[in-house]
Amino acid sequence: MARMKFLCDSERCIECNGCVTACKNEHEVPWGVNRRRVVTLEDGVPGERSISVACMHCTDAPCAAVCPVDCFYTTDDGIVLHDKDLCIGCGYCFYACPFGAPQYPQKEAFGVRGKMDKCTFCAGGPEGKDNSDEERQKYGKNRIAEGKLPLCAEMCATKALLAGDGDMVADIYRERVTKRSTRPQSWGWLTAYQEDV
Amino acid sequence: MRRHIGQAGAMAALVALITGCGVTVYEPGVYKGEKDPLLAMHAKPEHKAQLQERFTKGQAER
Repeated sequence: MARMKFLCDSERCIECNGCVTACKNEHEVPWGVNRRRVVTLEDGVPGERSISVACMHCTDAPCAAVCPVDCFYTTDDGIVLHDKDLCIGCGYCFYACPFGAPQYPQKEAFGVRGKMDKCTFCAGGPEGKDNSDEERQKYGKNRIAEGKLPLCAEMCATKALLAGDGDMVADIYRERVTKRSTRPQSWGWLTAYQEDV
Repeated sequence: MRRHIGQAGAMAALVALITGCGVTVYEPGVYKGEKDPLLAMHAKPEHKAQLQERFTKGQAER
């Protein structure tokens, strides 16, 4: 089995924020914490594109590389998870993550942030029993243990957001690109540098 | 004299206890927390097949 991956097809995303709502509702994510968010480029002008962003479960995760207490671990199929009992809320992972995935629930004096919270690919965390009350309270629901995939992708009305086996996700996306006969223009050289090189 | 020797011995034992004993050296970059029961479940091919079937039913093009 390949690694579990998220992919957001920007040609299909309509910025409905259904994925954000589904995530917050499923895991009862507190106010001020967004495990997933929709980012819109060129908002309101022709060429507008949106993408849904959360933890991308990196193969060589920079958050894990900088964690001073080594609270991150990766499952066999590449889901990056963390242990809130070990986390000291230092914020290093937040600075290291290129997607802004790590979130902190508290904003208090003296830089107290609370334990880091992030997308778990709906796979919970290292509690004694899957889908126990403790796990649900700390990490949210463990849908993977129930044989289900992340709710954000399963709720996506336009099937812009895909989550699952990386090979299967890639096959679907490749087929879409072939049918469109062009690659997405949302990012790449032209978008970044406005030059035809 | 005997009392002084006893106190010195107790002090030496206390210093050894504080400085030398019970120190655990951890390997850097290795996960230190509890083991996730999901890892064992993931290793089973039935579980992987279940997730793949779920993906095909829910997210593949119709």
